[in-house]
Amino acid sequence: MEIKDLDCLYEACPIPLIRAIQALRTMQTGDILVVHSDESCAAVMMQEWAQQNGYSIRVTESDVGEWEIYLQKP
Amino acid sequence: MKRWIKKAWPYWAGGLLLGGLNVLLLSLSGQAWQVSGGYLLWGAGILQKLGVPALTWDYFEVYNTRYRQIIADDSVFLNQYTILNLGVVAGALLATLVSSQFKWKKVKNKKQVAFALLGGILMGYGSRLAGGCNIGGFFSGLASFSLHAWVFWLFVAVGAFVGTRLLLRFLVR
Repeated sequence: MEIKDLDCLYEACPIPLIRAIQALRTMQTGDILVVHSDESCAAVMMQEWAQQNGYSIRVTESDVGEWEIYLQKP
Repeated sequence: MKRWIKKAWPYWAGGLLLGGLNVLLLSLSGQAWQVSGGYLLWGAGILQKLGVPALTWDYFEVYNTRYRQIIADDSVFLNQYTILNLGVVAGALLATLVSSQFKWKKVKNKKQVAFALLGGILMGYGSRLAGGCNIGGFFSGLASFSLHAWVFWLFVAVGAFVGTRLLLRFLVR
């Protein structure tokens, strides 16, 4: 199981989601992608996307106005 | 309560609220919500101060005459649009502060700056040719049952399609 970080700080929606989908494509089942973003909508979009595509997701607010979004490939 | 302040509201809640507030604004001030017209007046006023006679351009005399009174009153910097636009900024600031998500954003790279500037110029210029932005031209126009808002919507959809292509091509590495 691999853990990969994706720095999407200061990038506007929907760029974090698009980059996350691209990164997950190259990963294996069970791997975890950690997306760093400062857009609240990134977490909202990814939660919706994860639900539609069967990914497990966990979102934490790591700092003021900053989020870490954990996505695990099914 | 905390959940209500922290979490992003669904689109339908925001839409209902904006619609209701626009009705309230129209009934109290006699004018529906507009945004970009205020920035147009600021821009023209700044050019005027720099010695460019922007306020006497044909745009205000022939094409878009609804700002004539404001220009005649010499109030391009302080008018109803300025108050509404400052209200938008103040409201957004309040929302980020109460949800404790306020943050100074940094610039990611030069490409981001170039695209933001280019996009802003295209949007501003387009809104002036269309005679309104997505608020005055579309949102308030649609609520007034005006046909122009539907035409606006159609071409916003075309613009969004092209914009998405450009975003995928140039902004996502």
